[in-house]
Amino acid sequence: MNILTKRKIQNKMALSLSVLAAAIGLFWLFFILWDIFRHGMSFITMDLFTKDPMPPGFKGGGLRNAFVGQMLITLVAMVIGIPFGILGGTFLSEYGRHSRLGRFISTLSDIMVSVPSIVIGTFVYAIMVRPIGHFNGWAGGVALAIIMIPVVIRTTEDMMSLVPWSLREAAFALGAPYYKVITQVVYRGAATGIFTGILLSIARVAGETAPLLFTSFNNSFFTTNLNESTPSLTVTIFQYAMGPYDDWHGMAWAAALVITVAILLVTVAGRLLIKWRYRN
Amino acid sequence: MSKQNLTDYKDTLFRVITFGAAMVVLVVIVGIFVSLVEQSLPAIRKFGFFHFITTPIWDPVHEVFGAASSLYGTIVTTVLAMAIAIPVSIGIAIFMTELCPNFLKGAMGTAIELLAAIPSIIYGMWGLFTLAPIMGNTVEPFLQHTIGKIPYLGSLFSGTPLGIDILTASTVLSIMIIPFMASIARDTFMLTPQVLRESAYGIGATRWEVIRNVVLPYSKGGVFGGMVIAMGRALGETMAVAFVLGNKHQIAHSLLDASATITVTLANEFTEADSNMYMASLFYLALILFVMSFLTLAAAKFILKERSAP
Repeated sequence: MNILTKRKIQNKMALSLSVLAAAIGLFWLFFILWDIFRHGMSFITMDLFTKDPMPPGFKGGGLRNAFVGQMLITLVAMVIGIPFGILGGTFLSEYGRHSRLGRFISTLSDIMVSVPSIVIGTFVYAIMVRPIGHFNGWAGGVALAIIMIPVVIRTTEDMMSLVPWSLREAAFALGAPYYKVITQVVYRGAATGIFTGILLSIARVAGETAPLLFTSFNNSFFTTNLNESTPSLTVTIFQYAMGPYDDWHGMAWAAALVITVAILLVTVAGRLLIKWRYRN
Repeated sequence: MSKQNLTDYKDTLFRVITFGAAMVVLVVIVGIFVSLVEQSLPAIRKFGFFHFITTPIWDPVHEVFGAASSLYGTIVTTVLAMAIAIPVSIGIAIFMTELCPNFLKGAMGTAIELLAAIPSIIYGMWGLFTLAPIMGNTVEPFLQHTIGKIPYLGSLFSGTPLGIDILTASTVLSIMIIPFMASIARDTFMLTPQVLRESAYGIGATRWEVIRNVVLPYSKGGVFGGMVIAMGRALGETMAVAFVLGNKHQIAHSLLDASATITVTLANEFTEADSNMYMASLFYLALILFVMSFLTLAAAKFILKERSAP
């Protein structure tokens, strides 16, 4: 065989394989999304959002308790995670920019982003559940906050570093102290980016299950008291999907559909926002 | 206080507050390590380290605990998931950087990001209800009738195909890490200077030859670092495997057997542990997992840093 034809055939084969790989990736995405829609759609009713679960074996009921619990836990995580994240990111991109400690913490945050979330669950269990003696919603919120902080820190740092140094110098030249430069110039320049980082971090923690298993646990009753075990959508999905009843499976699919759509919408919104802000 | 002093004071205050917030990361990491060690002390004292990781018995009734079966499950599922995910994600990255027409690039990028954003519990549940029956009824019998007939290799596919096994869990895990690896590989491929590519095309190289001899060698460090990060994530993934692995403490020789990983053991047994030694052993497992994934991720960071240094 002519060497040129051989090279051409090799080229064609390698490229077809790469197209095939891309097709496999897309195939999974559509397969999973389609499956969630197909199974979940028929269980999406008003009752799902307005009623609490019925005892096993009884028809009907909804997941109001899990929706409310999920929101409360996420809210606690946001109240703790966002300020720590933004302030920490500020230190890394401004005051600690050239310090060794700053670089070190930045690297640690990168690692923290990927540390197994179930380990964070066991940690929070050790410090917030075992001493108290029972599961509680606060612990779930703290576990999610611990996952959220490094994500927000890293995006804040990156977004603030993108603000041109000359802008800061212009403000320094007017006699502004550093904290004023940060709060009035750098934050404004990086606002969209930081906001997107927060959105994405919320999307990230909203789907977390493992850290909630031993912190907020689950509760089949409606509660707004975070001192007791608090239901969440994700843990409910885990319990219902593993359970023996068909309507539990249906509810799990419905909850999965709601949570997936919400997370994908937030993710897409975040990406569009970044694109719009940094299009030039 | 003069105005200047007040300003200095405020600046110092802001600096200290931001410093404190950044230190939270360090405090949490040290805190995780210390509290896990503290909680697992009874198990560390009783079983030691080498004895614990080499004992394949996990018997809550007689309080004999060993991590070997969980460790085995963790490592086998991770390695198998990586073996499936690496070629596919490199293929996707090649497609996205070198082949994809421009109008498709954005859509393809979004699709990969969406796949990465789907929570792991959704993967797990989908794996249980959709993928496991397909694997058990179609794919695994097929594998048994083909590869299963080959001597030695065939024993990997022995047993009754139920769909709740190592193979299904690894498949779900690989789908989870593909988008992550693909986007890292894409980003590093894009760093290859256009001039290098063009000079290779200039001497008549085919597209594949440019990819193989220019793009891949140029970005191998970055791609390798990305793979190691993905491996760190796969080690600690819980929900995607919890549904489809079966949580059975055994060193399975067939890929069609149920198994347990450290994460699955924790997820299923943590709230049920009724004795102190049981609890301490579970914390010990968590500690081992934490140290393992931390070291893996730190190594990945180190590789990526070495590479980006001029």
